[in-house]
Amino acid sequence: MEKFLGPDVEKQVREMFQGLKEPVAVVFFGSKVVHCEYCKEIHQLLGEVVALSPLLSLEVFDLEENAEMAARFRVDKAPSFVLAAKNGDQLEDTGVIFAGIPAQYEFTSLIDGLLMVSQRDSGLNEATRQFLAGLTQPVHLQVFVTPT
Amino acid sequence: MALETRMVKAEMVEAMEFQDLAMEFGVSGVPHTIINAGAGEIVGAAPENRLVMEISQALKQ
Repeated sequence: MEKFLGPDVEKQVREMFQGLKEPVAVVFFGSKVVHCEYCKEIHQLLGEVVALSPLLSLEVFDLEENAEMAARFRVDKAPSFVLAAKNGDQLEDTGVIFAGIPAQYEFTSLIDGLLMVSQRDSGLNEATRQFLAGLTQPVHLQVFVTPT
Repeated sequence: MALETRMVKAEMVEAMEFQDLAMEFGVSGVPHTIINAGAGEIVGAAPENRLVMEISQALKQ
């Protein structure tokens, strides 16, 4: 398959990746059971992205075969991937999940997400942080986006 | 937000790939943010303060 990222985009992303600090593992879940039209493409795209920095790595799992792993990362659909904080050998769930292919505008969200998790800093204001620290019930946010 | 607390799971869902889910929540334009399976929602951009407000509201139900 041809590469997704052209030399110009790779150069731009490499520059943005100067802001990476701590390791991040992209934990991908594909599936052989559910219809996964873009699994191969997403897998390849993620591979091209993580190749641009030694701080990034890609781990590949299967939603059904690795059900325990999926539950640990709160993933319930494929294709999905989690931006996990990597501390030593440990992969820590962040709850930052992308479901579907991160193309076009969403590609920027992916790069921003990687930077955020790598810096281990949400960038949110103090009032928001306090509100979040006080949560006693789970909150599931689903942001619907399209690649166009 | 998910990075701040284990209580939050933040999922970016590609609406074309997961059309059934988008349909279930009545998503017609993007971005569209769904809080706890429809307890709250924001159509369009979701600035930080607005999102906090909507989450508070959704949790009161």
